Amino acid sequence: MSGWEIFTWISVIILGLGSIIVFILFLKDVPELLKKSEKESL
Amino acid sequence: MYSLAAIDYIIIVIYLLMMVGVGIWFSKRHSNFDDYFLAGRSLTTPILITTLISTYYGIDVLFGDSQLAFTDGVVAWFGYARPTYAFFLIAAFLLANRLKKEDFRSLPDILDKYYGKKTRYIGALASFIYSLPALSLYGFGMLGDVIMGWPPFVGMLILGGIALVYTLTGGFWAVALTDSIQFVMMCVVLAIAVPFAFNIIGGFDTMIDVLPAAYFESMGDLSIWLVIIYASTGLTILVEPTFYQRIFAAKSYKNVRNALIIGIFIWGSYDWVVTILAMAAKVGAIQGIIPADVAPDASLLTIMVVALPAGVLGLFMAGVLSTEMSTLDSYCLVAGGNVAYDFYKPALKPDAGDDELIQKTRWGVGLSWILGFVMAISFDQMLGLWVFMASILISSVLVPILGGLFFPKFHKPLAGLLSTGLGLASTIILNMYIMTQGTFVVEEETYVLHIGQWNIFQEYLMYITVPISFMGYMLGIIFGKEKRS
Repeated sequence: MSGWEIFTWISVIILGLGSIIVFILFLKDVPELLKKSEKESL
Repeated sequence: MYSLAAIDYIIIVIYLLMMVGVGIWFSKRHSNFDDYFLAGRSLTTPILITTLISTYYGIDVLFGDSQLAFTDGVVAWFGYARPTYAFFLIAAFLLANRLKKEDFRSLPDILDKYYGKKTRYIGALASFIYSLPALSLYGFGMLGDVIMGWPPFVGMLILGGIALVYTLTGGFWAVALTDSIQFVMMCVVLAIAVPFAFNIIGGFDTMIDVLPAAYFESMGDLSIWLVIIYASTGLTILVEPTFYQRIFAAKSYKNVRNALIIGIFIWGSYDWVVTILAMAAKVGAIQGIIPADVAPDASLLTIMVVALPAGVLGLFMAGVLSTEMSTLDSYCLVAGGNVAYDFYKPALKPDAGDDELIQKTRWGVGLSWILGFVMAISFDQMLGLWVFMASILISSVLVPILGGLFFPKFHKPLAGLLSTGLGLASTIILNMYIMTQGTFVVEEETYVLHIGQWNIFQEYLMYITVPISFMGYMLGIIFGKEKRS
């Protein structure tokens, strides 16, 4: 396996897995964000 | 038009309905302008990552990167994409901290604070022009044609209209939350596409065997001057209005810094995967898997249509739509804020309340969309138009913004006024001149003016207009008086 190919698969993992992890962390924050937006709109 | 399976269309329709749903959900949830325009300044690191990445990367990056990679190889990443990461680092460690220290709401707010109202209005005009969604709407026209077989203006109206609806109704909350969904869509589908693309061309080793060795040279045939020009396009990051809006909307500086550092890894991976997929498309064109005469900017979509199975292709197309929607909505909102908060309130109605500002921002969003639409259907050479719009922003606000943020002694109204005014005027005059008197060279994809033996590219104009802006700034510092507090 060439260096280019290893770099490509690392990028795929960062892109795929990384974005999913960030999205899960975002989902964890959503209830608090929504609560804040709801409180401000009252 | 590519032929998609029924399941692909169903996925695309579900995705579009979901975006409208988020906008309607947030339509009545705004208590004040800060809430509508900056999501209550409460964005945490994960949502900042998602909204920064999805906004800054539109299909211009997707197709622009892939076009260069298809024709030249890995230089698309090393020469074109990589330098921008340095600017993200500068933004993370030097700029964001300064910006978070003040209670700014928009980029022209900074100019107002340091140089006064006149500079604010010029900066707001530059930001408004830069944020017009002409290129995004043009992209929707192209995608509507490719996916559905619609004439370009129908794609602009329907797909661009959906982004307009949720931006108008939901404000920055809707933009940030749809950005998050769009972020995961655009990243995951690209990652999934790689094994399918390798499978159809016969693996990475085949790519190395089939493509010329120059495709794997990190700087390819690029001259040092072209590298400098590519690198300097990253300067936009330092005055990017949507980027500033996200810094102002963040909960704290730490959130912005962390989001940018993590984001650089995702941006880098995204660019690299696009580069490799486009190179796989080149192999596909050589092997006869896709037409040999495929347009370089359509090569990525073409290889995906061949490589991806039904369902996955629908997800990919929804991901491509996401890439563009997340860009269009953010720029429309910034342009709307320029109209309401940077023009209307200070110039016409200083006592305007939050409800009125929200309403005027919505008008501004609509206005920017309409102007963008008119430009998208009127101009033939969108790339030339984009270079013009980007250089307007850099040439008018880069010098006074950085000067104002980092050199407190230079806060003289005349410096701001001369710098923004001369930068804006010289950019408009020189770009108009080259776009009317020059010729559009298809191979270079830019306007070129021939003067004697010299060929002046449109992109070079920035190297005249930014120094003009800088000279105006220095003159203002020498001859101007201090700003009265």
